[in-house]
Amino acid sequence: MIVSRRLLTSIAITLAILSMPLRLVAQSAGDSIRTHSFVLGIGSSHQLDTYLSPLNYTGYQVSFVRETLRMTRLAHRRVSFQTLWQGTFSQTSNISGTATDWGGHIGYDALWHYNWTPVQGLRLMAGGAIGADAGVLYNSRGGNNPAQGRVCVDLSASVMAIYKIRLWGLDLGVRYQANMPVAGVMFSPQFGQSYYEIGSGYADGNACFSYPGNAFSLWQQLTMDIPLGKYTVMRVGYLCDIRQSHVYGIKMHDRSHSFMIGFVKHFRKVKKAERKTSVIL
Amino acid sequence: MKRLYLIILSVLTLASCVDEVQFENTPEGNMEALWKIIDEHYCFLDYKAEAIGLDWNEVHGRYRGMLSNNMTSPQLQEVLCNMLGELQDGHVNLYTAADVGRYWAWKEDYPSNLNEEIREAYLGKDYRIAAGLYYRILDDNVGYIVYHSFSSGIGEGNIAEVLHHLRLCSGLIIDVRGNGGGQLDYAQRLASHFTNERILTGYRSYKIGTGHSDFSELSPEYLEPSTTIRWQKPAIVLTNRGCYSATNTFVRDMLCCPNVRTLGDRTGGGGGMPFTSELPNGWLVRFSACPQYDKQKQHIEFGIAPTIPCKLKAEDVAKGKDTLIEAARKLLRE
Repeated sequence: MIVSRRLLTSIAITLAILSMPLRLVAQSAGDSIRTHSFVLGIGSSHQLDTYLSPLNYTGYQVSFVRETLRMTRLAHRRVSFQTLWQGTFSQTSNISGTATDWGGHIGYDALWHYNWTPVQGLRLMAGGAIGADAGVLYNSRGGNNPAQGRVCVDLSASVMAIYKIRLWGLDLGVRYQANMPVAGVMFSPQFGQSYYEIGSGYADGNACFSYPGNAFSLWQQLTMDIPLGKYTVMRVGYLCDIRQSHVYGIKMHDRSHSFMIGFVKHFRKVKKAERKTSVIL
Repeated sequence: MKRLYLIILSVLTLASCVDEVQFENTPEGNMEALWKIIDEHYCFLDYKAEAIGLDWNEVHGRYRGMLSNNMTSPQLQEVLCNMLGELQDGHVNLYTAADVGRYWAWKEDYPSNLNEEIREAYLGKDYRIAAGLYYRILDDNVGYIVYHSFSSGIGEGNIAEVLHHLRLCSGLIIDVRGNGGGQLDYAQRLASHFTNERILTGYRSYKIGTGHSDFSELSPEYLEPSTTIRWQKPAIVLTNRGCYSATNTFVRDMLCCPNVRTLGDRTGGGGGMPFTSELPNGWLVRFSACPQYDKQKQHIEFGIAPTIPCKLKAEDVAKGKDTLIEAARKLLRE
């Protein structure tokens, strides 16, 4: 796996820009706090798409996750609302190194969690999500089947646990989150159907119902938020993204493991009357 | 509640890793991988069992016995290419770094009915070139177009210009002998200038599963008339065994157009859109995946018979004449 110096420099510059303080950073302002985070990741990718090739492809993946999280007024302010934007780019090769797959996808999820705080410092959350994802995988030497498109809309189950711990004189936030699609609709060509056929207006039955039995996927993230100075919180973590499907006889998996690093910001909603006196905390 | 647990348990049991069997990079592993790819994806196994007595399971046993662990890469390639040769399909190839395994008997085992030098003499030196179309007006006021390959792009504008130039001709010869195919879009684009209405030209289907008979319903294929110049006079398409793949489809479509006949030899065939796959050692395999049919729902994999059979005669060649072109000119003059 070779990552160019230019890529690493770009990641560093992006993270540096994102780490610049905006306004009103505070974590103790209660329900009106909105948490925004942006993390970049790099890791390994293991792919299979039998529409393109029966061989496994392995390589690297770069990704980003942009997240917002806030409490809502639902259920006596016990329901939080989270949005997740995710994007990836991967480059993988077959075992003999004679072909390359380039892939990428972008997805959006809106999640609602019910919150419990069973003990001081621990927050448990469980809920559901609605999301959409679109992507493509291109094989460098395919003929009439050079690429595979992926589009899906699904409902997911989601759980999260956040634990605040004080270590080395720092208030650290450790978080685990897992999302699993439970029902949805996904696009797929039929077993031997060409995109030429679909593009010629002969698309038929290319949308199918997906559930864990034919498209078991799991998105897991383990992160730690580390305060750096007064205004900056750094997030490091591990992302395990498993996407799979087996529909119309086409087997697909895309399993990635990434190291993530980025920054977190906490915003407090400011009412008009407060604006005149608001300061950076 | 018990039922709910059972449902959740069933879903979790069904939900498992999605993987494909990965064969070893050994002669045996590569052969098994290739056999499986063809067994599951090739679209003419049933048809060729009927047409040429192909038994793909028997092929497996026969070629499996030719393998040894210490065979060289060229030896393995030879065995695998011979195995693929059983399919008798020009769309089936095995690409290695050293060679392209192929089956070309569909044209090499037959007379070409084409002499390139004589054809060039008919075009002369002052012929015109519009993208992939080479054309001129012959002495007896017959338009003559040569299209060497459907890989050479043509646009609506090119075709319109050519037909406008030939508009005063009494008839038109389209010579696609030796045209081994290319882009289906170009074939259909050219054919669309020979019909005034939307016409049914054939059908196509695709595999919906790994079984040899797992096919979708036949989807009709229509030819839409061009919105620019459309040829209204007689036209003759010259064919030989070198007409393959997209050219085969072009001939199929042209035969559905009014005022169009074909003259020459049977086309080479190639009635399946090819897909590609690969072996554990990295070799690329190409194979027919989506079959096409004529409007009588018959396969066109083994070619299309001409309306007017005609062969290139040695005595004509000796005189610098092309029997097929001369026969077409005579028909168009009548």
